[in-house]
Amino acid sequence: MLAESLVTDVILAALSTGGDFAEIFMEDTRRTNIRMLNGSVEEGVSGRDYGVGIRIFQGFRSVYAYTNDTNRENLLKVALEAAAALSGGPQLTNIVLQRLVVDRFNPVRLEPQDVPHSDKVGIMKRANLAAAGYDKQITQVAITYLDTDQHVLIANSEGLLVQDRRIRTRLGINAVASKGNEKQSAFRGPGRHMGFELFEHIDVEEIAKDAARSAVTMVNADYAPSGKYPVIIDNEFGGVIFHEACGHGLEATSVAKGASVFSGKLGQQVANSLVTAVDDGTIPNAWGSQNIDDEGTKTRRNVLIENGILKGYMIDKLNGRRMEMEPTGSSRRQSYKFAPTSRMTNTFICAGQSTKEEIISNTEYALFAKHMGGGSVNPATGEFNFAVAEGYIVRNGKIEKPVRGGTLIGQGSQILQKIDMVASNLASGQGMCGSRSGSIPTDVGQPTIRVSEITVGGRKGAN
Amino acid sequence: MEIQEFKDRVFAAGQAAGLEDMEIYVSKSKTFSTCVFHKEVDDYTVSVEQGVGFRARFSGKVGYAYVEILDQDSVDLLISGAKANAQIIESDDEIEFFEGSPRYPEVIAYNRSLEAISAEEKIEFAKALESEAFATDERVSMVNYAVTGYSETEVYMANTKGLEQSFERNGAVSFVSAVVREGEQIKTGMRMMFGNNWGEFDAERLAQDAVREATSLLGAKSVPSGNYPVLLRHDVARDLLSTFASVFSAEAVQKGLSLLEGRLGQQIASPRLTLVDDPLLKNGGASASFDGEGVATRTKKVIEAGQLTTFLHNLKTAKKDGMESTGNASRPSFKSPVGISPTNFFIEPGTLTYDELVTKMGDGIIIIDVQGLHSGANPVSGDFSLGAYGYLVENGQIVGPVEQITVAGNFFEVLETVEEIGSDLEFGSPGSRGHVGSPTLLIRHLSIAGM
Repeated sequence: MLAESLVTDVILAALSTGGDFAEIFMEDTRRTNIRMLNGSVEEGVSGRDYGVGIRIFQGFRSVYAYTNDTNRENLLKVALEAAAALSGGPQLTNIVLQRLVVDRFNPVRLEPQDVPHSDKVGIMKRANLAAAGYDKQITQVAITYLDTDQHVLIANSEGLLVQDRRIRTRLGINAVASKGNEKQSAFRGPGRHMGFELFEHIDVEEIAKDAARSAVTMVNADYAPSGKYPVIIDNEFGGVIFHEACGHGLEATSVAKGASVFSGKLGQQVANSLVTAVDDGTIPNAWGSQNIDDEGTKTRRNVLIENGILKGYMIDKLNGRRMEMEPTGSSRRQSYKFAPTSRMTNTFICAGQSTKEEIISNTEYALFAKHMGGGSVNPATGEFNFAVAEGYIVRNGKIEKPVRGGTLIGQGSQILQKIDMVASNLASGQGMCGSRSGSIPTDVGQPTIRVSEITVGGRKGAN
Repeated sequence: MEIQEFKDRVFAAGQAAGLEDMEIYVSKSKTFSTCVFHKEVDDYTVSVEQGVGFRARFSGKVGYAYVEILDQDSVDLLISGAKANAQIIESDDEIEFFEGSPRYPEVIAYNRSLEAISAEEKIEFAKALESEAFATDERVSMVNYAVTGYSETEVYMANTKGLEQSFERNGAVSFVSAVVREGEQIKTGMRMMFGNNWGEFDAERLAQDAVREATSLLGAKSVPSGNYPVLLRHDVARDLLSTFASVFSAEAVQKGLSLLEGRLGQQIASPRLTLVDDPLLKNGGASASFDGEGVATRTKKVIEAGQLTTFLHNLKTAKKDGMESTGNASRPSFKSPVGISPTNFFIEPGTLTYDELVTKMGDGIIIIDVQGLHSGANPVSGDFSLGAYGYLVENGQIVGPVEQITVAGNFFEVLETVEEIGSDLEFGSPGSRGHVGSPTLLIRHLSIAGM
């Protein structure tokens, strides 16, 4: 990591043309990535990501530069080049860095760099066996293993100097089921902000079997009927609906510019009163947790919506200036190659009063989305779409039959109003969220919920 | 440390550690990007970066490692990492380190005059995108993106078999996204352009097209569910082709992940359709004289008049099928192992203009955007179900905008049911899956879910 005196000199160089804030983000990251197909290891990659990002503000203007040549001469050159994009304003000539010690609430016991590759492959083999052996319709199983160990140093002209280390481990299981010419796949990807002890916390075999079960169920399923009707979305990864349809619209990135349907609506009713939603970066060892965000601000538990009322946004430093609001520990980036911005950490709808069984038994007709695929949203209009990875038709209070190929489309703010039942079985799933500052690990979560009406697209005509 | 010295140290250390064949893949790039918001520079990013991908054979198996800094720690990590990764490989795939092709094609993909365009000019262009958008229509409430970017990349490959090759490529990209508001209605429209001839970048046209698209969507309604003839506008057809491009990869075929397995020589698409992979395209976003394994590239038709003529191969898949590599080994980045990807990959244009296609369709729906390609499309089955919007066409005339619909179908069926191909071939922006282009396609019918 860089010496304090060099950090100071680079920040001062960055401020030499009148910038009013400068920041250095340095990282040195080790990664392991192993890929297995049908029980046989096909690929292993070890990597080292290394570089420095320099960011300068002048009012609402922001300049970013990055490089992986970190010798003194080059860093000063890059800082001056970035500064050349700004002009005017008084020049800061002195800063005093104060080293901040991070309160680490994401303890790691087994550092992945110390675990031999053979142990990692051993876990992958267990997952492969469990999935492949589940049913003879399973024709392919792909397993991925990855770990990252990110060392960061963040310093800025306000005097902050802080270092942190983020260790994450994840297993990916993709099971493909075949029937004749048809194939369906199902993915599960358990991960945590922890080391190799992850595998003491999760049941690899159960998760692998669940992926296989889902793929087999779907290859034997009929297509989902299209139309507008109620949808029950199960817990865990079902939370992706809130993440996409509402979470992105609550990021300061879109709120500050008035680009979000939630802009200017603090204190207003934006959701059914059954809905309370939170973004919490402080859950120990959760996939999206961090001790500090990528601007060095401590992460927090941010209440976004409480009983349907909009309570807060996720805010980074730059957009905080625009909004005249304090940063919320939500600024994140994929790596030094990205300027950070407001992003989600672990985002979920809080537990309600109903049970999942009550929701199903009280529903005459609905699509039950047991497992969601990914989705995306246009933050300006709030329009979203999601793939239903594993769906069922609910009829007369009972799950009738599996259906595949459904897509949910709609508008985030309308869906929030239409959530009419919320169960108590809150759970989370892991994902990678791609947006302006790159691809970052995030948890999505919710209890089972019912939405009174969503447009469901599918290959089969209306029911 | 300079790259030549680093390479020498790595190869020497590797030899001492018992590594058999070794190869480095170095990418050096310079990027610039700026975004203007409310006439001010809102985002300004510059970078100079390099990375070194390394692969090596140990006990007959190949392991990978990469680094982004050239120091002694990195030399050690490349050697120990690649060795450890080679030791866990169980696949029996034979991986070749290539000594070099006898000849390499001339490829023009770097335009020196583009590199000379100053930061100020690019900022002015982004400012013009924003101001032109506001000037186009008073209902424009915001221009949420007015971006200009530039990147140049130099790739250098060398291995212990004697291969040593390099190429460079540059390109500029610009995009504008406008938000229009009328009453409670909010619509967005976006236009993007990629190229390396700065003279072709026209801020006024990009901005006007983006705004007109946004305003054209005001008052959009859903339509009754059913099967409709569909025009997939060139950008939608291109995104669909890009999403399903992996079905043409020999790797996917050999692993049983492509339904095109066993169909070489057969009619898999409408006789009107020809699909080309052309790495030699002048100033193409994926043009290169050699591929990710150092093999000389060449142009080929993947589908010719509807007939599947070849899959895309690298050395490994070609050897399995007893043929020559098609020069489609890809390294999406120095961090990635060798895979397979198309280069400049496009459907050959037909003769009808977009307007003529609308007339020809008679009644149906034009799809101008789809959402959810990364989740709602399954490259293995070919099935897709995507949020979409566009226009309703009756009697050959656009009668109004359409939204809140999904379009569902199967990629392989789409290929078979292409009825007409437009003359309006356009490329998107190049990515790790190549630089993909398509004209507008008239499809017999697709399933639309709406009201």
